[in-house]
Amino acid sequence: MKWTRAVLSLLLSGVVFWAANRQHGVVPPPGKILNPFAGFWTNGERSDAPPERLSLPGLEAEVRVAWDERRVPHIFAANDHDLYFAQGFLTARDRLWQMDFQVRFAGGRLAEVIGERGLSLDRFNRRFGMIMAAENALRALETDPGARRAIEAYTAGVNAHIRSLGRRSYPVEFKLLDYVPEPWTLLKCALLLKYMAYDLAGKSSDPAWTEMKQALGEAAVDRLFPYDEPLVDPIIPPGTKWDFTPNPAPPVPAAPDSPDQNGRATLATSDETVKGKGSNNWALAGTRTRSGNPILCNDPHLALNLPSIWYEIQLAAPGVNSAGVSLPGAPFVIIGHNGRIAWGLTNAGSDVLDWYAIRFKDKSRSEYWYDGAWLKSEIRTETIKVRNGRDVVERIVLTRHGPIVRFEEDPPFKEKDIPAGAALRWVAHDESEDLETFYALNRAESYEDWLKAIASWSCPAQNFVYADAAGAIAIRHNGRFPLRWKGQGRFLLDGSNPAHDWRGWVPRDHVPAIKNPERGFVSSANQKPADSSYPYYLGSDYLQFERGARINELLAGMTDVTPGDMIRMQNDAFNLRARTVLPAILPYLRKGELNGVERTCLAEIESWNCENLAGLTAPTVFDRFWSEFNAKTWDDEKVRPMKSMPWPASHVLIDLVLHHPDDAFFDDRTTSGREGLAEIAFLAFRSAVGGLEKALGPPGPAWTWGRWKGTDIQHLAQIPGFGRTRLRTNGAGYIINASARTKGPSWRMVVELGPEVKAWGIIPGGQSGNPGSRFYDNGVDDWVAGRIYELVFLKSPDEANEKIIARTTLGGAK
Amino acid sequence: MIAVIGCLIILLLLQVITPFWWWIMLVPFAYGFGFSRTGGRAIGTGFASAGLLWFGAAVYSFLSGSRIITHRIAAMFGLENSWLLILATGLIAAVAAAVSGYAGFAVRALVKRNDAADEKKS
Repeated sequence: MKWTRAVLSLLLSGVVFWAANRQHGVVPPPGKILNPFAGFWTNGERSDAPPERLSLPGLEAEVRVAWDERRVPHIFAANDHDLYFAQGFLTARDRLWQMDFQVRFAGGRLAEVIGERGLSLDRFNRRFGMIMAAENALRALETDPGARRAIEAYTAGVNAHIRSLGRRSYPVEFKLLDYVPEPWTLLKCALLLKYMAYDLAGKSSDPAWTEMKQALGEAAVDRLFPYDEPLVDPIIPPGTKWDFTPNPAPPVPAAPDSPDQNGRATLATSDETVKGKGSNNWALAGTRTRSGNPILCNDPHLALNLPSIWYEIQLAAPGVNSAGVSLPGAPFVIIGHNGRIAWGLTNAGSDVLDWYAIRFKDKSRSEYWYDGAWLKSEIRTETIKVRNGRDVVERIVLTRHGPIVRFEEDPPFKEKDIPAGAALRWVAHDESEDLETFYALNRAESYEDWLKAIASWSCPAQNFVYADAAGAIAIRHNGRFPLRWKGQGRFLLDGSNPAHDWRGWVPRDHVPAIKNPERGFVSSANQKPADSSYPYYLGSDYLQFERGARINELLAGMTDVTPGDMIRMQNDAFNLRARTVLPAILPYLRKGELNGVERTCLAEIESWNCENLAGLTAPTVFDRFWSEFNAKTWDDEKVRPMKSMPWPASHVLIDLVLHHPDDAFFDDRTTSGREGLAEIAFLAFRSAVGGLEKALGPPGPAWTWGRWKGTDIQHLAQIPGFGRTRLRTNGAGYIINASARTKGPSWRMVVELGPEVKAWGIIPGGQSGNPGSRFYDNGVDDWVAGRIYELVFLKSPDEANEKIIARTTLGGAK
Repeated sequence: MIAVIGCLIILLLLQVITPFWWWIMLVPFAYGFGFSRTGGRAIGTGFASAGLLWFGAAVYSFLSGSRIITHRIAAMFGLENSWLLILATGLIAAVAAAVSGYAGFAVRALVKRNDAADEKKS
């Protein structure tokens, strides 16, 4: 009896201990997490108050930090080393877990933390060559003393913070996911930039278009994904003269693009939208502004998460005083201004990623066919550690083109469109000096400085916009672009044919660019960079026309512009797609044949001023209509072996509606009769309304745009309760206010240059990465409402400013 | 009562000095093993000392600057009210401590019999 009692009670204790001490699926260890002395309870608001004085071994001199009311640090250091040391230290203090998690993702090390669930993604990132890319970036950095020293100091600063932490003070996500911080490294800084490169330039339509070409022929692809896109207003004004003599394009091979009969690449398409993420930027010359000084605006649209992707900061030391947003995990201001210039970025979207079909000799994949001979593959092994599981050794096969991301025998990667057996050629794998760009940009004082700074930028290619206090404005579609024959890389290339290789690069002073254009403004919104007079082929997979055309239409009509006008313009919710296409569609919606709800909806869009405002129903109806209209126009075009039919850009469909209403694409091939635009539009409208009714019930508040679309800012690890969801935002992805469901303006910035620079900005989040802080999401509501904050830009650490609420001195240990 | 206060103070010290949660199982076990005369006491002392400590510390923490994080963690667990999470914290500590306290007592009971047997032999 005693034995039974002892054994049973010990056993029960053991079970309780075991249950409280370990993770259960996604549930954190209850004992650890609920412990009031070290669990989540110690991650409260107390950390919000900046310390007055901190001793920091590793600093060479004292660093002064002024904190403004939104807890943005304004750092003043005596030298570059201390400046970036302090940036690393203070960023880690606010964002350590985010920094760790982002590069864990990029480097294929999620499984170490979340176990088997992370394995497929890890495998993908390893095979995609992310670590190799980061290693190459670091190697190139040896030649950039400024950037190299900066990331070394930044890394030391991050590690100084990590060393100062006890278990209690680990960010709460470490506790929830039950792991501990590890030292920061230079490689992690490089990985972060590769994470951005993948995010912005890591996808391509090549596999989907290749499949389409095989099924429908190249003419169909060229028609639906044309080189010269209708309705698009390019970044460089049409008619601009090119001031260079172009290098010749490589010769077009006899049978270009046909995946060689030897190549065995097979395709799989998935639902992933291959389009990159969008952004807006523009700059106005003094001739158009009230003050006579240039104004520069930028709002990059990225996946919206908490903690925010951006960290606001001001960085000052002898020779530099810059402010704006930084990426947690890398030094420098990435988008911002200094006293003389302002700069911004949008994604370029030109083609820097191709797939090459490879024929291997045998299953070992140790040799492959190239130029009439068998070449040896390079094999790189990487080990993926799996929590509560066995290590997985990844054998990465590298060809002269690049790595094989997916083998024929592998299941498709979730939500990724990767051709099996093909090698990846990607600019981001090459040695590059990207970090040097920002080191120099932060210090640039003139157009020439800016030009020199961005010349070292490689990938992801960006539209760099510029304005300075002297009155210049400029924009450059800037990055490392392979020299291609027209159309090279639209489809899978032949990995055995040397004629299909990339042959050199577009010279950096030949990229589409313009300075001080006559019209008094420059702008970009991820559209095609130049019209057909531009002599190089850069790609043909740019974003749709609406944002770019709307920006240019507004700017062209504006004079006497104030920063307030620009803030309003960044929140413009006008739906150019609706305005362009609705007048041609409405006549087909035959009122007499509509039921009651359909008539109500028709009345809504007939009286609509084309603004996608959160409180209106018309945008919801139009959005559903557009989706149904696309489905009914395109989906029936699919023939085997296509797995799905990629939808052409909106401007292609609108061009058909406006100029080719009798086109056979409007015929529904699944019926025996011949349908036309009239019938398809009518049916699409009815099924849009029917679908909404089925999903939401009779028309009511649930039908309003803000509720139907909504914006979710989820926590980076999708922890429930840590995000801000169902935000009723205006706009849409193709509208200037590009607030979509999970993506949107991740930083809105307006800068007026002049004798005194003035800047405004907001991030949909806050400075702190601590979900228990008041400064974790304090910008969200103002961001939804379209408000923006005047930014503090100090000239000295002691400058009096009513928005400065605290000051900290970081001292080196003597 | 003295036992509860004693355990509570020892627990408080250990928890402040070290980051480990499992003192709330170890200390009641030790009490049950070394001091408790009945199983009921071992259970009660563990339950009350650890439960009070964690509940009290959670309340203190919540009121002194952890409102936001408590609210978010409660939401993560699907609880609408932060106080439910505070209550759960106290309760979980109490139950874990009660179980191990009794285990300490039960093991002691075994050893005692063996002690007696050893004495007889000699």
